[in-house]
Amino acid sequence: METRALGDTGQESTVLTFGSIALNWLEQEGANQLVELVLDHGVNHFDVAPTYGDAELKLGPKLRQYREEVFLGCKTQEREYEGAAQKIDRSLNRLGIDTIDLYQIHGLEYEAELDTITADGGALDAIREAKAAGKIDHIGLTSHGNPQLIIDAIDRIDDLETVMFPLNPVVAGKDGDEYDYEAVLERCESEGIGTLGIKAFAKGSWPPTDELAEADRPYANWYEPVDTPEAIRERFDFAAAQSLDTVVSPGDPKLVKMVLDAASRSEGMDEARQRALIEEARHDDSPVPEQLHH
Amino acid sequence: MTGDVPETVTAALADQQVAGQVCLEAGAGVGNTTAGLLTAGAKRVYAVTNDADHAATVRDRVGDGNADRLAVVTADLRATPLATDSVDLVTAHGLCNVLPPADLNAVAAELARVARPDSHLVVDDYAVPPASAAVTRLFALENAAARVVDGRPALTFYPAGVLAAMFADHGWAIERRKTLLDPVPWTEAHIEAHSDVVREYADELPDVVGEPLATMADNLVSAIGSERAGTMYSLAFRLADR
Ligand SMILES: C[S@@+](CC[C@H](N)C(=O)[O-])C[C@H]1O[C@@H](n2cnc3c(N)ncnc32)[C@H](O)[C@@H]1O
Repeated sequence: METRALGDTGQESTVLTFGSIALNWLEQEGANQLVELVLDHGVNHFDVAPTYGDAELKLGPKLRQYREEVFLGCKTQEREYEGAAQKIDRSLNRLGIDTIDLYQIHGLEYEAELDTITADGGALDAIREAKAAGKIDHIGLTSHGNPQLIIDAIDRIDDLETVMFPLNPVVAGKDGDEYDYEAVLERCESEGIGTLGIKAFAKGSWPPTDELAEADRPYANWYEPVDTPEAIRERFDFAAAQSLDTVVSPGDPKLVKMVLDAASRSEGMDEARQRALIEEARHDDSPVPEQLHH
Repeated sequence: MTGDVPETVTAALADQQVAGQVCLEAGAGVGNTTAGLLTAGAKRVYAVTNDADHAATVRDRVGDGNADRLAVVTADLRATPLATDSVDLVTAHGLCNVLPPADLNAVAAELARVARPDSHLVVDDYAVPPASAAVTRLFALENAAARVVDGRPALTFYPAGVLAAMFADHGWAIERRKTLLDPVPWTEAHIEAHSDVVREYADELPDVVGEPLATMADNLVSAIGSERAGTMYSLAFRLADR
């Protein structure tokens, strides 16, 4: 599988990152098998979080067995020192390892959170302390939020080395500032910050729960995913063509094999095809009147 | 704010000097290219269409805040009110396929008249869709209906080489060609819009002809759903000499 430099971290990540939340839905034996399958495809970057149910625990055994081969990202939703310090130790414990390669401030949504995180006694203090103590190697950020907020974070956190954010044809086709992840990509490019793409396989929101109860959803993802080999290949190729360093696999284990195949066989995607996907998505919810043309 | 600019437009204009230029958007339609030109910093855009509804749509969509830069002109592109040698950049995005072949030459001549020497022209259009594509059947039905009602086709798809040669004949030297879409995503909304055209023609005809036409359109809509077929290309020219 193709590898790309993860910003200036020194890490060469495979273009697919394994979203280890998928392990949460499996028994331990199945989780072990899935990790073996992922490693067989050459994937060397895993991502996990304490909020993903038992994913950390289930990743533990195989992670320890192959520790040298895996670059591990983990995260925290804590915003203050105490909570973040505890979560780092808790994750190290649950994973059964000494060092997390990339520790990410998870799910940044509001400017006020950024204030808290960066203030004295904020989560960053704990993360930096852990870094000095050798418990983590690199500092990152994840956000589904406003691209401008991510850029503010880059401005305000000097030692930020990676960011993780949504990117797919639907997002890419929207023009407003609130969708301008292009600007984030450019900024990261110019500063050597690594980029990880999420929601690459999102088709749309789930139907409202009165139409489809949560318990009746066929996939564990918090959005409705694309789920045919062709659509998955297309979405992977699109995301990988957006100058992201790596694309995170979707959270449902049933989709992982298809995504691994897509990433292993990927041959890139030319611009005319990328535009076709964006235009196709754009027309599904276009505010512009009925059009005969593109 | 000019509303979403399609990727096709952004890609076609990406290598053109737009900022500070006087532009003629030939066949303004729903204003996609007008929006693209204004976003890219055009000094002035003359958005020309012969359809009053389109003119109103373009004004609604991009008029706000652009009063000093945008003039929506309702005119025939074969004879516009624009002065000779007055335009720096001409765009014709999805125009040629709606021009009856007999008008194409006159429009090309008029564009060359209003364009100043050394100005640029961008022509974006669809290659002939594959015969095997389901949309080809819908376009054929649309053309049949148009011929019966208007005596001319609704859509004509030209190979890129044909348009390149035709514009070259009017002094436009081709500078580059690129593929904007491959494949072209004919979404449900596009298919629906084309079948609406068939229905409008059908309404003009006696029921014995009109009703079966409308039914055929309905059937095609359900049969096609959406389809990816064909390509859309962009040609860029410079006005050499006449
Ligand atoms: C398919 S639309 C073009 C789309 C448009 N360029 C855009 O970017 O949204 C074609 C336009 O050309 C106009 N048109 C066709 N023949 C024309 C003519 N002879 N003179 C002026 N406008 C014409 C139509 O009324 C319509 O507004």
